[in-house]
Amino acid sequence: MAKESFDKEIQFLRMLVLTSGAYNRQQFADRLGISVHTFDKTIKRLKEIVSSVCQQLPEEQGKQFAETIRYSYLDSSDPMLLFLFRAKSLKESESQRISLLLAAMHGQSLSAMELLDACCASLPAELPLPDEKTIRTDLKYLEQVGVIKKEPGPRPFRYRIHNDLVKDLSHDELLDLYDFVDIMANTQIPSVQGYLLRDGLKKHFARNLAENDSIDPFLYKYHYYSRILDEANLFTLIDAIRNRRKVSFLYFSPKRATSYASKNTNPLFERETEGKQETVLPLKVIYDHQYGRWYLLGHHERYGIKKYRMEGLTQIEEDKAVPEELFAEVSTDLEQRMQYSWLVDTGRPVTVRIRFFHPGPGIASFVKERVLLQGQWGVVTEENEASFLFEIVVNGTIEIKPWIRSFGSSCEVLEPLKLRQEMITEWKEIKAYYESVRENI
Amino acid sequence: MNLFEKIFNYQIISRLEDSGTFMVTSHERGWLKTMLRHPAAAEAFSPETLQRLGVILSQDQPFDTSDSLLHKAASTEKHVYHALIRPLRRAIMNKSLVRLSYEIKGGRTYSEQEAFPYKLEYSMVKREWYLLWYHMRHRTMMSTKLHKIIEAREEPCTEEKYAALQEKALSLMEKRKQSVHILVVKQYNEELSRILYAFSCFEKVVCYDAESDEYTIRLSYSSNESEYVLSKTRFLGKRVCILDNSYMKNRMLESAAKALERYVE
Repeated sequence: MAKESFDKEIQFLRMLVLTSGAYNRQQFADRLGISVHTFDKTIKRLKEIVSSVCQQLPEEQGKQFAETIRYSYLDSSDPMLLFLFRAKSLKESESQRISLLLAAMHGQSLSAMELLDACCASLPAELPLPDEKTIRTDLKYLEQVGVIKKEPGPRPFRYRIHNDLVKDLSHDELLDLYDFVDIMANTQIPSVQGYLLRDGLKKHFARNLAENDSIDPFLYKYHYYSRILDEANLFTLIDAIRNRRKVSFLYFSPKRATSYASKNTNPLFERETEGKQETVLPLKVIYDHQYGRWYLLGHHERYGIKKYRMEGLTQIEEDKAVPEELFAEVSTDLEQRMQYSWLVDTGRPVTVRIRFFHPGPGIASFVKERVLLQGQWGVVTEENEASFLFEIVVNGTIEIKPWIRSFGSSCEVLEPLKLRQEMITEWKEIKAYYESVRENI
Repeated sequence: MNLFEKIFNYQIISRLEDSGTFMVTSHERGWLKTMLRHPAAAEAFSPETLQRLGVILSQDQPFDTSDSLLHKAASTEKHVYHALIRPLRRAIMNKSLVRLSYEIKGGRTYSEQEAFPYKLEYSMVKREWYLLWYHMRHRTMMSTKLHKIIEAREEPCTEEKYAALQEKALSLMEKRKQSVHILVVKQYNEELSRILYAFSCFEKVVCYDAESDEYTIRLSYSSNESEYVLSKTRFLGKRVCILDNSYMKNRMLESAAKALERYVE
């Protein structure tokens, strides 16, 4: 069977989350480059998963799916989009069998034959009974993903569920563990495995606590909700980097109107591929905290350093490995060129000098606090009662500009002159927006 | 590592839930082992628990992303865990009140204030923990940085009183909700994705008018967050324009006018 790809679901969810219900079915399908029929099919499947993993989901008829998975501050520690990672399809018989096996190994260790018996005794009558080979294959898989453990001892081997985490910790320790997992999954990267663990622990608590409604004491503010979608490809890329292997993929620049190439076998729905087939040696993955976006930076045989937005990568495949020396050489080159990247710009370094103004006597110096918190490797060079000077070398000024602008009138760009001029022009334009709006009232 | 393992399949998960089986994969344990290397771990667990976790996870492989994954434009991580999280989260779980002593800006302190602890909140921008609480005497919602809290002592509360306070806190939170309509200036429609990403840390609804080909974003936020909404709006510059909410519009106009004054030679 061909490897199941989730490119479609990821693109689909991303658009749904970002545009939060802006488009009707036809507009949505057009932008994704799929048919309305495929749109309906995908949404049906996603809904099915969501409703089976989230029992608290409101089941109102006609409730928009987009609304269901929208970011909500009060549920900010429970990432709705996690259900994407539950989407791997499985035959009914297999999911029944695996759950039965795990439940059987829950309280005791059992041999393959005992498990076969247990399985045959409990499987619903309409499902075909497994044979010993199937059970052994299942056990091998479950051992490989670390869910069960082979007990020491002679043949026949006995297996038990690997749940030491909840077995060996006291209730109080488990609570500390839950909090730690919740906090780390919500504030660190990567987070998907942490969210999955949190989910398991949360259900464990729900089963074992008399009152579980206050298990969620945490809220998280200003995190980028959709960031976990790109973690889907993160480990493929990290593995490729570690193995010095090239990857090839079909790339859709997010600037294009269509982001997903349908790979339907039905010729009626077949479309021209609009993406670009690329092969690069991946060097770094970058998470940009300013927008909550991911980048892949790699080395292209013909074009040198190339940058891709992770959301545009589809159909990623590992390719040939390269010699260590080549990897080391291009990797060092990239590191040098990235040294002064505010985000990913590898352009010419330029010194930016900005005067920041303190809010005024007697008011806490929140401007300086923020500059120190977010100013990356920049330094404060001079300071007096009214203001301070901030200096930073960055590759080009495009990426740092929005950050400077976000300070509004609390700062003045001194150098370079070109940036200073651009700021003046932009503030004039912004002023004009609001003056005209005011006149309209 | 494949995040789309069949073991994570939704049907398996919901069946395991029905049978009350706890399952954890080596992926999740590997992640936990990685996170335990973070300095926050030493504050979040007692040394004995850390040691026990070390034994449980001894066979698992941590992820090493240090040489392949880079963070850019992140705020400096002040703290991820704070010593007061443990007692406060337990007070919330036990449905208790707390007696709070804390410091405010300028160094003044308040002591022994009766508080209903609502939630613990972490800001990814400030990289700091806050306690959201209801000030019983002043009848207002408060937000206090954990590092400003000098002491928090748990105190019992009757069930009825607790339920009433919870309702009160929720309704006050609800009352603080505000919204603003932001237009994506049409000539920047090409940058829509970037603009929507920038606002994706807020609750929002997007409207698209096919006829005029214009996008409007309605952001919902709490009244004490308007400064952050303004800074995001300035961040995006001329790509967006606030349409309603005269306070926000005036603030934008004021920012632009004052910024221009800075540049007068």
